[in-house]
Amino acid sequence: MIDPETARLRLNRVFRDIFEDESLEIADSMTAADVEGWDSLTHIDLIVEVEREFGIKLSTAEVRGLKNVGGFLALIVQKAR
Amino acid sequence: MLSDAATQQFLPLLKALFSENAVTAEIYEAPFDAMELEVLNPAAGLYAFKPDVVVLIHSTQALRARYYEHGMSAEFDRMSRIWDALAAGGVVRIVQCNFALPYERPFGQFDQKVHQSLYAETRLLNSRIAQAAGERADVLVCDIESIASYVGRKHWFDERLWDMSKTFCRLEFLPHAAQAMVDLVLAGQGRMVKCVILDLDNTLWGGVVGDLGPMDVEIGPHGDGEAFYRLQKFLLSLKKRGILLAVCSKNDLANALAVFDQNPGMVLKRDDIAVFAVNWDNKADNIRSIRDTLEIGFDSLLFLDDNAFERNLVRNFLPEVIVPELPDDPADYVRAVSELNLFETTAFSAEDAARAELYRQEAGRRQAQSSYTDVTEFLKSLNMQITLGRFERSQIGRISQLFLRSNQFNLTTHRYTEAECTAMMEDESCIPLCASLSDRFGDHGLISIVVAWPQGDLMRISDWLMSCRVLGRGVEQYLMNHLLSMARARSLSRVSGEYLPSAKNGMVKDFWRNFGFENTAGNLWEIEVSAYVPTTTWINPAGIDNEGEKHD
Repeated sequence: MIDPETARLRLNRVFRDIFEDESLEIADSMTAADVEGWDSLTHIDLIVEVEREFGIKLSTAEVRGLKNVGGFLALIVQKAR
Repeated sequence: MLSDAATQQFLPLLKALFSENAVTAEIYEAPFDAMELEVLNPAAGLYAFKPDVVVLIHSTQALRARYYEHGMSAEFDRMSRIWDALAAGGVVRIVQCNFALPYERPFGQFDQKVHQSLYAETRLLNSRIAQAAGERADVLVCDIESIASYVGRKHWFDERLWDMSKTFCRLEFLPHAAQAMVDLVLAGQGRMVKCVILDLDNTLWGGVVGDLGPMDVEIGPHGDGEAFYRLQKFLLSLKKRGILLAVCSKNDLANALAVFDQNPGMVLKRDDIAVFAVNWDNKADNIRSIRDTLEIGFDSLLFLDDNAFERNLVRNFLPEVIVPELPDDPADYVRAVSELNLFETTAFSAEDAARAELYRQEAGRRQAQSSYTDVTEFLKSLNMQITLGRFERSQIGRISQLFLRSNQFNLTTHRYTEAECTAMMEDESCIPLCASLSDRFGDHGLISIVVAWPQGDLMRISDWLMSCRVLGRGVEQYLMNHLLSMARARSLSRVSGEYLPSAKNGMVKDFWRNFGFENTAGNLWEIEVSAYVPTTTWINPAGIDNEGEKHD
């Protein structure tokens, strides 16, 4: 069982790396519209990097179903069990 | 760049890879999946851009989708129409990607016998691309299939990425595909390996010829020599396609040539080598002289050497020369070199095949000019550290082994057993010294032995030998400085040494003379302690760096 707060910190690190912004702070309500450079391509980079970071595999449906960062984090915590 | 897959991810990769090769690439990205629209329309952005090269990236996934709709019979004609339209539009170089073979096998293994299956049709399409490209000079094939099959289809395809973003393989393999494209484009600009420069001992054959002799190095189709034999077969195939082979080795030339001429296990013969630079000079100078002899650019030279020191020295002085890391195990040499995809070309003709011979003859006529590289800076940067002391019990095995095996840098070639080495260690009238060397690239272990005997006012040196791996570093100079200061500390007035010529130790025949010793009788040499001038070296006692600072 992965601790949600640890997962949040690790996810934040991934976001900072992918979007090359060391001051980026993720929030549950955050969506692609809130982050500069979050387009369909960096989205793929983000998914692949999250899979690597947490050792999980996300299905196409799960990726398509993502609404915001909070949902993403919840999915990660659930999958990383 | 035209594609039926997403190309956005390729852009930064291609730019970075070109820039690594000092090429600034401007890349025009045609709209997604609009190949015909672009190439058939003279007013398209493609033609306004006036490309030097057009890269056509066809994906297996898009091909599969078309196959399920209407089969694959029209695919090849469609492709060759695109080539023709590009040629008509003034494009002189086309890089056509072939297809990673699909993993779907609706017939199971029977698929092999069914011509209309997706797998069989894709395979056929690949071979038609290869055949057609072989008949026209403007089309080069970017062999995506070989990359995909090398990493494995199971890993290559990521259908999720295709579904989400039309990415045609897993992200981690995009750089491989991009590199393959860049390699072809650079080859089209004349950037290709024209000469492979080879070390000998433990690169072209196993073991040290100076120690084992020409007939006993490891080379041949079976056993320990097979790995080297395989490398030589591969090198011969390069030579047959016009790449020159040269030798750069620290060795005795007669010894080295004897292997080529006499050892029946050798694939490469003396005539296969365009230039031999076999001597005890540093390899950067020798590669310069090979280059001058052959009159080709440094950036078209590939240097293969199992020794990390030599690789780093060449990288340091000749940064344009391609110097790949070689794996520890010779069995993997060919694979390591192949993975780097170093042997691109854009054409092959009968002249290419004959080129090696022409160069070899020309090189024979020309006298290579020697140049001098200042290796001081390099030696300094190595931060070499030596551990020097009397024999210790734990070292006796290695010490005896060195006595038995060292042939080339060995002044007197006395062979001592472990018992005899132990006796010297315990003899207080004897000074049995051994030295270990390390540098920032690693530890060379025990590499030199000197045995001296103080007698009256004389210090007599009975044995001096060193591993050829550490030639040219200043180890013998460091040891000589050390011995002379020992003699001085003991108030001895003279130091004497001996050179006993053997079939293999010609490289040290002037050893004593070079240190200022005078020939007193026969093989005996002597120097007044007060007359000795210490040599500067860049070696420090273990734990002390070049600035005299102490470290752990």
